[in-house]
Amino acid sequence: MRELLNWKIHAFVFVLVCIAEFIGVKSLNIGVGAIAFFPMLYALILGAIISLPRFKILSDKEMDIASKILGISFMLFVAKLGTLMGPSIPQLLDAGLTLTLQEVGHFLGTIVFGLPVALLIGMKREAIGATFSIDREPNLAIIAEKYGADSPESRGAIGVYICGTLFGALYLSLLASLIASIGWFHPISLAMGAGVGSGSMMAAMTGALAIIFPEASDDIAVFAGAANLITTIVGTFVCVVFSLPFTNFLYKHLEPILGRRSRIQTDGEN
Amino acid sequence: MLDKTLTFILIGIIAIVGNWIGYGVSPIDALPGMMIIAAITILGYAIEKIVPLKIPVVIWVSVIALFVTSAIFPWQQTIVDATTQINFMALATPILAYAGLSFGKDLKEFKKLGWRIVVVSLFVYTGTFLLATLIAEIGFRLTGQFK
Repeated sequence: MRELLNWKIHAFVFVLVCIAEFIGVKSLNIGVGAIAFFPMLYALILGAIISLPRFKILSDKEMDIASKILGISFMLFVAKLGTLMGPSIPQLLDAGLTLTLQEVGHFLGTIVFGLPVALLIGMKREAIGATFSIDREPNLAIIAEKYGADSPESRGAIGVYICGTLFGALYLSLLASLIASIGWFHPISLAMGAGVGSGSMMAAMTGALAIIFPEASDDIAVFAGAANLITTIVGTFVCVVFSLPFTNFLYKHLEPILGRRSRIQTDGEN
Repeated sequence: MLDKTLTFILIGIIAIVGNWIGYGVSPIDALPGMMIIAAITILGYAIEKIVPLKIPVVIWVSVIALFVTSAIFPWQQTIVDATTQINFMALATPILAYAGLSFGKDLKEFKKLGWRIVVVSLFVYTGTFLLATLIAEIGFRLTGQFK
């Protein structure tokens, strides 16, 4: 397992971090709200450009190593968030009720927003795998175990997984800064919303929120970290006992209504 | 374990430099905090390896970090003071750089996907964020917290 010490990957990261931090924070006002651009996003985008297969700079093997290092490097971030949370334990307990309730939103949100749209545009059983959760690794395992790795349900889940891996962090951080700058929500509500249960997405969203609300940046990290931890801890359990059966239940009742128009024209597609 | 430890040291050095460029914290001031954060992480992995329960490492790392910075830990203040020197944004920049460098890996698979799944994925990610935010906001308004 010497591969974690691949010098090429670490050297690229070092250079990317230096460039990204040097550029610093920029904010772009687009009328309805503001979009925050910050070092994390530059590092993500520049890294993605370097990795494009057409440039032949990184091999598939090296990109695989980068993704392995990503998994363990996130633990340093978790440790940092933990050290912010320790002194705030009383505040976290005070907000305990809301912190617990908003988790319902994390688990229901993917289904409520995703399933009707999936059915309206003509997806069938793929819609279940695609929308029952945010489809990170543990969720893929649940679907594969229940329906098999080659099932339509698994195809849907893997599709959302790939989209999330590629664009999730970037999309959600732009969305978070936009929603935050509209001013409807309290920074702490948004921070809890950012605890979606995926490392890079949560980090990027927390960053965006911290730029929009600089005075609350540490509290944002505390509550985003706490929500993310809860989502991660209860995630697998909730997905098995609630999310998947509930998505199936909704599919059974909604598909005949919402999927009607698309039944003929999209057969065999997807 | 050794390769993980060395990797954390490498990422730690990168984060310290980023923390210096981006937030003006000198590497000498940042070093103790970074060493503590790395030590918490390494300890988390060690405990996960030793304890025969199926508890993910993210929980161990969180529990240790929470414990050593909570009021019941005797050296709480020292640890909080040291780790405050590391801006959490500076620590996240290298993480997203590794994420970026693995981008090309899934691009081939992505090109095989239809447009439908891309649209649905955007709704899925929007939904989980917005609905949780909305419920938290309602909760805070009802309880009168965080006005």
